[in-house]
Formats: sequence, structure tokens, C-alpha cells
Amino acid sequence: MAVYTLKPFGPMRTDPDQSMGERLMAIERRAKLMHTLQVALVWVALVIILGFALALLNFDLQYVLEHFQFVLQGAWYTIGISLASIFFATILALLGALGKLSKNSIAQGISSFYVSIFRGTPLLIQIYIIYLGLPQMGRQFTVLGYPQIGQLFILNELQSGILALSLNYGAYMTEIFRAGIQSISFGQHEAAAAIGMSSVQTNRRVILPQAVRVIIPDIGNQFIAMQKDSALVSVMGIWELTFRANRLARQESKFIEMLLLAALLYWILTIISSWLEGRLERRMAHAYER
Amino acid sequence: MRKTTLVFTVLVITSLILSACGGLGAPAQAADKLQEVKNRGVLLVSTDPAYPPQSELVENATRASNTKCASDQRTGDELRGFDIDASKEIAKRLGVEACFVTPSWDLITAGGWADRWDISVGSMTVTPERMEKLLFTQPYYTTPAAFFVHQDNTTFTQPSDLSGKTIGACTGCTYDFYLAGTLQIPGEEMNYVVQNPNFKGYETDLNALQDLALGDGTRLDAVLTAQPTGAGSIADGMPLKQLGEPVYFEYLAAALDKASIKTSIPLAQEVSKIIQAMHEDGTLLKLSEQYYGLDLTSAAGDFDLSQLKQW
Repeated sequence: MAVYTLKPFGPMRTDPDQSMGERLMAIERRAKLMHTLQVALVWVALVIILGFALALLNFDLQYVLEHFQFVLQGAWYTIGISLASIFFATILALLGALGKLSKNSIAQGISSFYVSIFRGTPLLIQIYIIYLGLPQMGRQFTVLGYPQIGQLFILNELQSGILALSLNYGAYMTEIFRAGIQSISFGQHEAAAAIGMSSVQTNRRVILPQAVRVIIPDIGNQFIAMQKDSALVSVMGIWELTFRANRLARQESKFIEMLLLAALLYWILTIISSWLEGRLERRMAHAYER
Repeated sequence: MRKTTLVFTVLVITSLILSACGGLGAPAQAADKLQEVKNRGVLLVSTDPAYPPQSELVENATRASNTKCASDQRTGDELRGFDIDASKEIAKRLGVEACFVTPSWDLITAGGWADRWDISVGSMTVTPERMEKLLFTQPYYTTPAAFFVHQDNTTFTQPSDLSGKTIGACTGCTYDFYLAGTLQIPGEEMNYVVQNPNFKGYETDLNALQDLALGDGTRLDAVLTAQPTGAGSIADGMPLKQLGEPVYFEYLAAALDKASIKTSIPLAQEVSKIIQAMHEDGTLLKLSEQYYGLDLTSAAGDFDLSQLKQW
């Protein structure tokens, strides 16, 4: 969108207050930079304190260095599972939120039941039920003579993990989406209706584009939480970060070393993703900048 | 909206047709699990590489280029240990390759494996409860269960001194049942020498040993675990010592799923024959001495499998 500003009168006259404005802006920039530096300094101090605290532990750095590479390879699984799960969870959450806000009693019933059951039970138990329980249902189909349908219920460890994480986080994110959609003032609905938009059009062209901006920071937040919760899929034998760290810890009883290494890698992962999320957030806020 | 519905319907129908075709293309149906394994050329073994020296992972191992293992399965080179070597030998004598999957112990003992893997060669103790879900083969070795206490302790001289004390062990394993006084091991008379212990459950034995190593009585007075596990921790430098003689012996066998779509009984019988042969020609004894430095296998060869009345 082009911005039209009033041109100054006369031939190329400069604003007399321009130099003062520029000086003020420079001061403000300096103050901002100082503030950032101070925060960074506090971080450095805290990292040093943490380092000293960890140095009090009986810590075998050599062991960590030797096995760092192998544990790091698990990060690909952690990232892959989290990305796939946040993708499906976002779709589920959008559908769930639209269902919750709809006037259709069936849609509302389904989505409130979904949120209630998947938000109200532990993720670990959901993983076990999907991995162990679904095949037992499928077995009934196979016994009845429909092995193709029975096979559909037998998910491998990756599919089970992604399904469980998607369903669980989709339930949490349904509430985030609902709140985001409801944060758009009702006047917008009325305005859209006034120019003859259907409810689908209103959602697609008016409400959702604005709601997304509110929702993005929360999705980022959920994504960070999910990267750490993906550790739970290690129970099915996926060789991700936690699995590798844990199994190596047991080889030579180096629990503190390997647990701290895994924690550090998760921390780095989440720092990267919160930085990316910040960039995305700034991009989405473009229209609201001043 | 109508277009979306149409696309969705087409997708569903296509996927149904595709899945039906997949069924038709399958090779000749095997009559049982043994035949299925031989047709496939692969014995799928489950093992949790959390229990050295029985099973542990190998870092940065390269997969053999001619392996038949699927990409989400582990080849024999990516794991090592007593259980792994025993699995490889069993597969070799079946004329197939051993491939491994690594679900957690809970998922293995739960049964209902949905044919994701064929057999567990995971040092599983034969118990009546597990026999409800699983078939057991001839045991391939035994594990003596022993109490361990902190090195600094001088008040305990024998296992019966631990009555009423805080004792740690893995939750849901045989040590848990022994401390609760409910353990039944087919073919063995139980003698519960410790009365009314204050049981503290752990995810695995090693977590319990870690807590015991914090100090005498700090969190635990003693841990009941496998003698080789405790001895291994002591060798790794934990300040612990064994208390008295082992209190009982467990028979450890390979296990198969009772709920598999095709019956696992012929495979269980075949593997039992192979394990018996491995006892007789000294293969297992050699492995036991290699990994544990002692003979843990001979008693397992004398175990009378027919008393379990599984088939």
C-alpha cells in the first residue's frame, strides 16, 4: 500500500526541526543499545554463575565431548517430529476453534469434547494408548477378515509419536486460536456482513488474517514446549536426543553428564526457534508498525 | 465448499483402492510366524539398549550395505551386548538376518506387539503374569538377584538384616515383586528373607543404584538388583558392596507375542531348540564368560520348559 504524505510548500524547503529530531533519535538509539548491552551483560554473569554451580558437580567433560556428536544426531528427529506435529496441531487447532465458535451444536460438541479429553489426559499415556491400544482395535478388523483396515490402526513409532503430539497440542492450541479469533472486535463481523460477505468469506478475508497476528507468538510458545515434550516419544524407541543421551548415560553411569548435554542441546534448539519466532512475529506486525 | 468436498472424497476413495491393491500384491501367505520369518529373511528382535552389558548402543556404527533391515530398524552392528550376540546367533541358526527395534521395556512386557517385531531377546524373567500375554522359549541364562548396600555401611551383615529398611528397585520388575512377597518363579521355591521393607520404586535399577550411592541411608538403605548389574556399577566406581549371597535366581528367556495374527508357537519351539543346542555346544557359556566373566548359563540349560505347559 502506497503512503501519500503532504508535500512541503514551496521549492524544497527543509524542516527547521529536522536536525533536532535527528539528534533526539540518535539519543534514543544509544539508550536502546545500552539497554541491550546491559541485558547481555546480565546474561553473561548468570551463565558464569551457572557454570560455577555446574563445576561443583562431579562432571566428566571428556565423556561429554566424546559422545557429543552422537547425541547431536538425535536433534534431527527432535526437530522433524516437532515440525510435523506443530503443522498438524495447527490444522487441528484451527478446525477445533472454528468448531468451538460455530453455532452448530454437533461441531461445538465434537470440538469441546476433543479439547477436554486431550487436554485433560497426560501426553505420555496418550502415546502409550496410540501405540499399544490402536493395534488392538485394528486386530478386531483383521480377525473379522478386513486386514487392510486392520493395518491402518498399526502405526509405527514415528507416526504414533507425531499423532499423539499433534492431538495433544492441537487441543491446547484450539483454545489459543479461539481466543485469537475472539479478540477481533465484533464490529469487523458486522462490517463484513454489511458489504455482503458470507461467514466463510468473513473468516477467510477479515477475521483470520487479523487473528493470526495475535496467535503467532502463542504458536511459537507451543512449538518450544513441544520440542521438549517430544522427548516422551523416546519410550517407543525413536533415537532422538533424550533416547541417545539416556542410553549413553547408562553405558558408563554418566547420568549428570548426559542429562546436562541433552538439556543444553534442547536449550540451544529453543533459543534458535524463539529467535525465528520473533522474526516471524515482527513480520506479521508490519501493518501495525508506527 | 462443494469443490473441497469433492477433492476430499476422491482422495479417500483413491487411498482405499491403493490400500486394497497393496494387500493383493503381497507374496504367498505364510501359515505361521516361523514361516513368515523365513520368507522375510529377517528376524525382528526387540531390545531396549538401556541395560549394559546385555544390550547397549554402538556410536556411529555403519550399517552393512547388503542388510535386509528396513531404515527404521537397527542392524546388528548398531548394538552390542550379551542379548544382541545371542539374538544374532539365533537368527543365524534360523538362516535369517537379525534386525532390531528399541521400544522401552514397558512396551515389550505389555504384549500385544501388533506384529511390529517377532521376538524379544531381552533377558526377560519367566513369570506366571507375563505368561498370560507372552510365550517363553527355553531360558538362555539366569540372573542371580542380590542386595547391594553402601560401602560405608557396617550394620548389615546379611539380607535378613534389611527387614523394615528402605529398599529401592525398579518398579514392576521381579525385584519389586520379591520385596512385596508375591514373586513366583516357575520351577523355584521362593524364600522371602526380608520382611516388610519400605519399598521405593525406580524407572530402572541404575537409578536406584545412583540414589544408594549418594550415601548410606541418605535415600536408600539397600537396592535389590541383578548381581551382574550391581557388580558392573561397582566396577564403574560406585561406592557399593554386595550383601551376602544371591537371594534367588531368575530364568531369563526369549519371549514371543501370544496375540500375533499368525501363531508364534512354531517359532517359539524352533528358537527353544536352537537355544538348547547353543547350551549344549557351549556357545552361550562362552558369551556369558565374555560379558559377565562367570557362568550364568548352565542352570538355564537344565530348565524343563515343558513344565510351563505353553503348547
